[in-house]
Amino acid sequence: MSTSEHPRRGGRIGAAVVAVACVAPFVYLLVLSFAERWAFPDVMPASWSGRFWVRALTGGALTGSFGISLVVSLLVAVVSTAAGFVTAKYVAYHRHRQRLLLLAYVPFAMSPVILGTCLMYLYLRAGLVGTVAGVVIAQTTFAYGYAIVLFTAFWSPRTKDLEALVYTLGGSPAQAYRRVLLPVAKGALLLCFFQTFLLSWFQYGLTLLIGAGKIQTLPLKVYDYVNEANPYNAAVASCLLVLPPVLMLWANKRALSSGGLQVSSSP
Amino acid sequence: MPDRTGLAGLLLFLLIAVGPIGFSLGYALLYSIGAVGLLSEGVTGGHWAKLFLEREIWQSFAVSVYVALVTVGATVVVALPLAVGFRRQLERGPLSYLMYAPLAIPSTVAAFIVFQTLSGAGFFSRIAYQAGWIQGTEGWPELVLDPWNIGVLVAHIGMAVPFFVLLFAQVYAQAGVPKLEQLARTLGAGRVQVVRRVTVPVVLRRSFENLVLLFVFVLGSYEVPLLLGQQSPQMVSVLTMRKYAMFDLTQKPEAFVIAIGYFLLASLLLVWAFRKPAEG
Repeated sequence: MSTSEHPRRGGRIGAAVVAVACVAPFVYLLVLSFAERWAFPDVMPASWSGRFWVRALTGGALTGSFGISLVVSLLVAVVSTAAGFVTAKYVAYHRHRQRLLLLAYVPFAMSPVILGTCLMYLYLRAGLVGTVAGVVIAQTTFAYGYAIVLFTAFWSPRTKDLEALVYTLGGSPAQAYRRVLLPVAKGALLLCFFQTFLLSWFQYGLTLLIGAGKIQTLPLKVYDYVNEANPYNAAVASCLLVLPPVLMLWANKRALSSGGLQVSSSP
Repeated sequence: MPDRTGLAGLLLFLLIAVGPIGFSLGYALLYSIGAVGLLSEGVTGGHWAKLFLEREIWQSFAVSVYVALVTVGATVVVALPLAVGFRRQLERGPLSYLMYAPLAIPSTVAAFIVFQTLSGAGFFSRIAYQAGWIQGTEGWPELVLDPWNIGVLVAHIGMAVPFFVLLFAQVYAQAGVPKLEQLARTLGAGRVQVVRRVTVPVVLRRSFENLVLLFVFVLGSYEVPLLLGQQSPQMVSVLTMRKYAMFDLTQKPEAFVIAIGYFLLASLLLVWAFRKPAEG
């Protein structure tokens, strides 16, 4: 064997270890969700059962939570993406672009729980606490900041030139959006929709605060089950929580690979 | 050609983000000085004085900064070698897809997994028991709800590393680091010098904003320390929520003092990050 093959093999083994580490949490959750009895010191469950999954998929509390999470996240993603697209244009072409962008980072980067405690008075006065509408509006405030940050990269001088060209050729603003800007922005719109959906889908603290514990989304269910020392149901809820993001990130990866936007917008 | 989207963008910005958050922070500030609130007895600096006098608040900020700093440091130390070492595998092959998978794990689930695996009766403790390294759960070190916040750190680092591996790998390629490394080698630099003087500074300088954002995220994190953190001192978000939700209404102004303190600290960090030139 030549010496140059050693690092190559070492690289392959290292990559395999990293790949296993990436998949291990999902495997662990799946095993736990099908466990019937898994006490110390057993490394694998003593008995297996699908009853937690059956209960979750046949109209249990988790089905309801999945539905609420889906409705809330879809609404947040649609509103944030649409509003962020329009606002980012204003921010990107403004002479104080950097300062406005900094303002957009405030809801995106800061703790939703801490800002949420400050927002509570406003939501209490508006009668939005403990309602789905309140949770959607609160989450939108935060996801919207992210959407602005993401779309600001789209509204580049090249995009501005494209739009100007449409007007030069006699097109109207509506035509510029329908025929040029929206088709060009398709990848970025899709990416933003995915990411804002995930921001909402993952949200726990803000939902707990503004939803006053009444809006039981999936992250709240996971936490409730953990508090009840019910790891099997918590694992089923966790699996339901990570399944849509896995599919979306897969699609997202394809969008990123096909010349979409950079991953650098959201740690 | 008139375009009303600019005006619509401005209105949306004011209506959805700046307006509610600005109003709420203003309200929190007024509450913290006793100008408003159910038990308000007039303007006072007493609640702010507590910020300097109460150990619990200082310790909360200190432990939050500690967790955020260690998370950022450890993330760089782990993610940068992985990104550079596996850059080819991250471009094509299974790893290029699998590295995205951990990004689908939310904080709540990450905290749950860490609790299940690192606690006294957790998965790794069972492996240690079966291997004969420990005689029972009492032989396993305290890794969750512990004074050093090890569980909190593991969860945060575990969530951050995959993202930064992808980011660093992208920065490494886009900044043309391989060519710079080649140039340094041609000029006589050794392997360690190339890494220390070229690779690390270029990648970190270009990722600076994202690292500051990670710091701000972790500083204000809630779900992970709620499940894995110790009861005292608590991280900033957990302490704010606890003081806000207490039946004792006299604690509420303190919650707002902490909230504004966090907001100021995070704002300063963001301003600093954005002022720093990102090009390296």
